[in-house]
Amino acid sequence: MSTAAVKNLTLPAGRRVQEESPRKARTPLSLVRSMPKKRRAPFVVLCFGMLAVALMAVLVLNISVSTAQYQLVKLRSEQTALTKQNQDLTQQVQNFEAPQNLAAKASELGMVASTGKGQIDLSTLTVSGKAKPAVKGDTAGAVIAAPAVPGQLNVVPPASSSDPLESRKPADTGKPADSKKSGDSKKAKAPAAAAKQAAVLNGGTIPAPEQKAPGQ
Amino acid sequence: MIVAQGTGKAGRQKVPNATKRLRLGLSIMLALLLVVGGKLFLVQGLDVGGMAEAALDNRLRPTVLPAERGSIVDENGTVLANSVIRYNITVDQSVNTKTESFKRLETVNGKEELVTVSRDQGISELADVLGMDSQDVRKAVTGERTYYVVAKDLKPDVEDRVANLQIPGIFSEGTSKRVYPNGSVAGGIVGFLENGTTGQAGLEQTQDEILRGTPGKRLFEIGADGLRIPVGVDQLTPAQDGKDVKLTLNSDIQYFAQQAIQSQSDKLSAEWGVIIVSDVKTGNIIAMADTNAPDPNDPGKVAAKDRGVRSVTAAYEPGSVEKMITASAVIEEGKSNPLDTFVIPPSYVVDGQQFDDSFSHGTEKRTLAGILGWSMNTGTVMAGQRLTKEQRHDWLQKFGIGEAPDIGLPAEAKGILTPADQWDGRQEYTVLFGQGVSQSTLQTVRAYQSIANGGVMLQPRLIDSYISPDGTEEKVPAQPARKIVSKETAKQVRDILESAVTEGQIKEAAIDGYRVGAKTGTSQSPCDDGTAGFCGYTASMVGMAPMDDPRFIVEVVLQRPKGSIYGITNGPVFRSVMSQVLRTYNVPPSTGEPARLPQYAK
Repeated sequence: MSTAAVKNLTLPAGRRVQEESPRKARTPLSLVRSMPKKRRAPFVVLCFGMLAVALMAVLVLNISVSTAQYQLVKLRSEQTALTKQNQDLTQQVQNFEAPQNLAAKASELGMVASTGKGQIDLSTLTVSGKAKPAVKGDTAGAVIAAPAVPGQLNVVPPASSSDPLESRKPADTGKPADSKKSGDSKKAKAPAAAAKQAAVLNGGTIPAPEQKAPGQ
Repeated sequence: MIVAQGTGKAGRQKVPNATKRLRLGLSIMLALLLVVGGKLFLVQGLDVGGMAEAALDNRLRPTVLPAERGSIVDENGTVLANSVIRYNITVDQSVNTKTESFKRLETVNGKEELVTVSRDQGISELADVLGMDSQDVRKAVTGERTYYVVAKDLKPDVEDRVANLQIPGIFSEGTSKRVYPNGSVAGGIVGFLENGTTGQAGLEQTQDEILRGTPGKRLFEIGADGLRIPVGVDQLTPAQDGKDVKLTLNSDIQYFAQQAIQSQSDKLSAEWGVIIVSDVKTGNIIAMADTNAPDPNDPGKVAAKDRGVRSVTAAYEPGSVEKMITASAVIEEGKSNPLDTFVIPPSYVVDGQQFDDSFSHGTEKRTLAGILGWSMNTGTVMAGQRLTKEQRHDWLQKFGIGEAPDIGLPAEAKGILTPADQWDGRQEYTVLFGQGVSQSTLQTVRAYQSIANGGVMLQPRLIDSYISPDGTEEKVPAQPARKIVSKETAKQVRDILESAVTEGQIKEAAIDGYRVGAKTGTSQSPCDDGTAGFCGYTASMVGMAPMDDPRFIVEVVLQRPKGSIYGITNGPVFRSVMSQVLRTYNVPPSTGEPARLPQYAK
């Protein structure tokens, strides 16, 4: 252990040992070419080059990945925005298409539902049924309230707003749709109030006499 | 050489010392290495303090991918219920509270600039956008909690504006909101949700499992900059969206019927009313209208008792519409025929029970057709008494009385049909004209459907099919059909019903161009509170058209209208709904001679 340690530790000692041995059995000297020394420089350059390339590659990879990530986020938000917009428009269409809104819009434009219809049979050339012209100002009957979809109530004015008799109703300050609705729920509670409203809704029809059913 | 030797000597002298130091240094190094390696092993290999796990947890973001709830659509694909995106604004209070100011990009004078915004300004801007009080918002965003909901159910445009404020710690999360574009049209049938998730009424309740779908999950790692770490964990379990439910309803007819029954009910101050429109050939329910139907967008606006579907939930004594079943039974049993003659006294007494008619008359000679055409209780009892008690019971049962239809709505009533041996002395005769027995409107319609369909009863259908997210449609198979009476009997009963319109008392059911058969029913309605006696009447009319090949059945029922019951008629309502249906489905006008069975016997 000690000799080995010394050999390694001190160079002169090592050299001496080396010089001692040839004296015992001399080996022929030969020229040792120092090739590695010349090659070391390009190798180091190559190493550094590869390191740089690797780093660059990692950098480029990283950049491209995060760019793609940003792009992904951007496209996602674009998709969300479009979905939102699409949904908003679909909802508006659906709201316009709701039968009660359609009916309200029609009556607002002065359209009247026809009552009597006739049929023409083209194969037998017969006319059956008696078509009657629709009468303007005919009461359409009860009004089904517009759908209470949040944020969509203002799209179509509810039919009741165009009812000229609406103003006769006392304390009607809320939105027309709401007042109609509350009227309906009130009706369920108080038959007396319902009869009153029925009279308003069925212009021309004499309301049935009010009577309280026994047990109520 | 000498120098070399000298040095060698000196080296040799120093060796023990150097070796010692070397060993010491080496052991210190090794010890340190062991400490570091051990620690490394502890941290990386064993993860004693749970550090790696904590770090991973910190980076991992589990998100639930909500399954989209299926829509409910009518036969033409009109949406009755669907889900839309709404947003909740949430805050990480710990982040927001410690951020006194933040920078954001703003367009100032046409140029994009980084502007520093104070927290106070951010809060007041947020309050503006949300339409909330600034103090409330401040309270909501201040604190230690990492998750707190500031505002709920915002429309996409509002969420967009909140996102543009770029306030640190403020996030938005998408939620699903149920929207019912047609409001109260079929509102009771569609039903509504509780807390926006669980079905609580109508089809939303019974079809909840199918509509709901299975939520998915995504697990991914996120960096401190808020971007997903591309090489990290990313597990995705896609959500399975719920199926759409397609109904047999036609929302236009449904609206028309609802409007008609609401007008009628308002006019006569009735407690409630229903209209059913049914397709004879398939049993499909085309409309099932209720008065004061709830708007599922806001079901709280109507009383709780109005939120169901009375066509199936309300069983009541049907009254004279049941005479059709009695007539079918006696004809099918061969005990009578439409022109069979009955001598009817003004008042008929059997087993000590007296039966009168709604109009006074002397002793008359009537045909069976005339008995139904004028809706005579006396004559019905006389004809029906030819059947044994068991036969009367069995025929009612055959026509589906006491058997609830299954159309997928909650609380479907099956009515009350007491066994024949439990009938009292009067009930055994009153069941012949629809008192002492109760059934829902849909059960009445089903009974008439079997007569209209040549004696074959089809079970009513409300749910037509389920549509998977990939678009495949899975039809709900029809329940097996049942033969109730022979084709000939059905034809004879149909002639009786048509004669009631052409010759009998129900002339107001007639529609220009079409042959119509109908029957009215007026029954005394027992009081709801259980007290003895009756509280008003139930007035109904059921009819079919065109009689040459019946396509549709319409029944109108009005519960406890005010005023004299004899002045009340559902004729105009029946007529308007039936003609609307005939026109909507382009039914050609009737051909052939209408049946005109004599009402009086010669």
